[in-house]
Amino acid sequence: MDYVSPIDERVRRPEPLARRTASIEGKTVALLDISKNRGAEFLDRLEQRLQAHGAKTMRFRKPTFSRPAPAELIGEIALHGDLAVEALAD
Amino acid sequence: MLESVDGGVYRLDDLPGERVALLFAHSECPTSKLALERLGPLGPGLAARGTRLVCIVQEPLETAARLARQNGVEALVLAERPPYEAARAFGVETVPTTIVLSADGSVEGSVVGWMADALNELLPVRVPDAEPRWKPGCEARPGHDLNLPVRAAGVFDELEDMFERGWTDGLPVVPPTADRVAAMLGERDPDRSLGAVPPALGEATVARVAACAVLAGCKPAYFPVVLAAVEAVLDPDFNVHGQAVTTSPPGQIAIVNGPVRNALGFNSGMGVLGPGNRANLTVGRAVRLVVQLTGGGVPGGLDRATLGHQGKISFCFAENEEASPWEPLSVERGFPSDASTVSLIGGDAPLSISDHRSKTPRELAATIGWAAAATWSPFWWPLDATSLFVLGHEHVQLFAQAGWSKADVREAIFEQVRRPARELRHGETTPLVQAADPDTAIAKWDDPERIVIVVAGGEAGRFSAVCGPSLGMQASVITREVQWTT
Repeated sequence: MDYVSPIDERVRRPEPLARRTASIEGKTVALLDISKNRGAEFLDRLEQRLQAHGAKTMRFRKPTFSRPAPAELIGEIALHGDLAVEALAD
Repeated sequence: MLESVDGGVYRLDDLPGERVALLFAHSECPTSKLALERLGPLGPGLAARGTRLVCIVQEPLETAARLARQNGVEALVLAERPPYEAARAFGVETVPTTIVLSADGSVEGSVVGWMADALNELLPVRVPDAEPRWKPGCEARPGHDLNLPVRAAGVFDELEDMFERGWTDGLPVVPPTADRVAAMLGERDPDRSLGAVPPALGEATVARVAACAVLAGCKPAYFPVVLAAVEAVLDPDFNVHGQAVTTSPPGQIAIVNGPVRNALGFNSGMGVLGPGNRANLTVGRAVRLVVQLTGGGVPGGLDRATLGHQGKISFCFAENEEASPWEPLSVERGFPSDASTVSLIGGDAPLSISDHRSKTPRELAATIGWAAAATWSPFWWPLDATSLFVLGHEHVQLFAQAGWSKADVREAIFEQVRRPARELRHGETTPLVQAADPDTAIAKWDDPERIVIVVAGGEAGRFSAVCGPSLGMQASVITREVQWTT
């Protein structure tokens, strides 16, 4: 039986993971706050620990947790960060 | 000729002169799924050892693609349709069957069903060392009806086939055959896109929306309402992405206004938020199926709702404009009174409000408003999102007899539902409450415009209802005109 599919069946190729880094020393870690409750507190602590291990850090923030990050923000993170950490929260 | 899920067309004879491992499978066979899940990801490893994995799935292209995706297959995936020439050529009577062909096309060996030890002998890469190591296969497609998948009892069950495909919200659906979808489409362009549906951004072509409408059980006459509702859902200000993936319960509520209500038989009266009316239930269901199937917001998958609610199956109703002394929602939202519209609100399940005793409009507004005090969370004041109040006929009459406008009711609710900050400092509360002077009165809403009022329900009974908000989504109420003619 031929049906009309309700689903967009186009195959999307998954993006490969970036190469893992052996050390964070001297690397710039982008810390992304998704604007959810207490996410910034988690990132504050993480930032201290990353800096203690020799990493540089940069902070970014999504305008709202309920929408995907704007392309410009993702571009900024990709431009300036060697690594990225996204903080979920609640 | 076999179509590949990545767009190519192949003949087995055309495969270049290399060693090939053919895996025959179909979707109704659990052992096939096991074989796809375990062998599929080994494609690159096999290729590195000179053997190309080719999965031949006895399904339509889209089903083959879905099976491949769900099972992490990294190999050439071909969809084989009746009369299953490839399977017949190799005498495949059972799926899964794995056949290794040498570069000259001769058969080196085969394994029927799932047999880990035998496959380890046949293939140059070891299969996962996991239980079950042995599992018998199922009857291959050519063994039975050439066109239709057949159940074990030998009787095709189209409705079960829909569950197998995942084209359901958990209830039986109407299969979207080409004929049914064509009837739904009418003269419309099936390829016109309404946009990408979050969260997975499947493209909502008119044909796919029509397929959802068929699945939901809509009459073709309802389709203009479905299209307008889907357009509203896809408005960026509705933020259906957030609504579709959130852990919070809200779904999408569709409210129909204008002549289309009565012409198509939408219920705005007795039992309006409950069962019994095809137009209400199927249009609401079609909207949800678009989000779930075309958009990929599958409960338990990308839809992360902790609890959800039954309104996420379907939540559509019409305003009882005949019983209302006020302008309908559509007019409030800027449309002419003769326009047919559908308005989308992100919202929680309805909480019913009984008030058979209030004598004054102010008392009644207080009862109705205070019922909403615990929505979202009892101490989370103020709400910065829409609350939908569905006012019943008798409640509306009391307001009307006192000469109150809809704005008067809204203002009376907004002004009366207030508590001192100190009473709200429990558990989950807002930064505003925490920062406020303890005696400052905090309103339940940050703006009276958050209170949306619609009139609906039967003539008898002093009941109204409130649907809590889709908080945190920054989801506006969106209204679209229904492109509809009698």
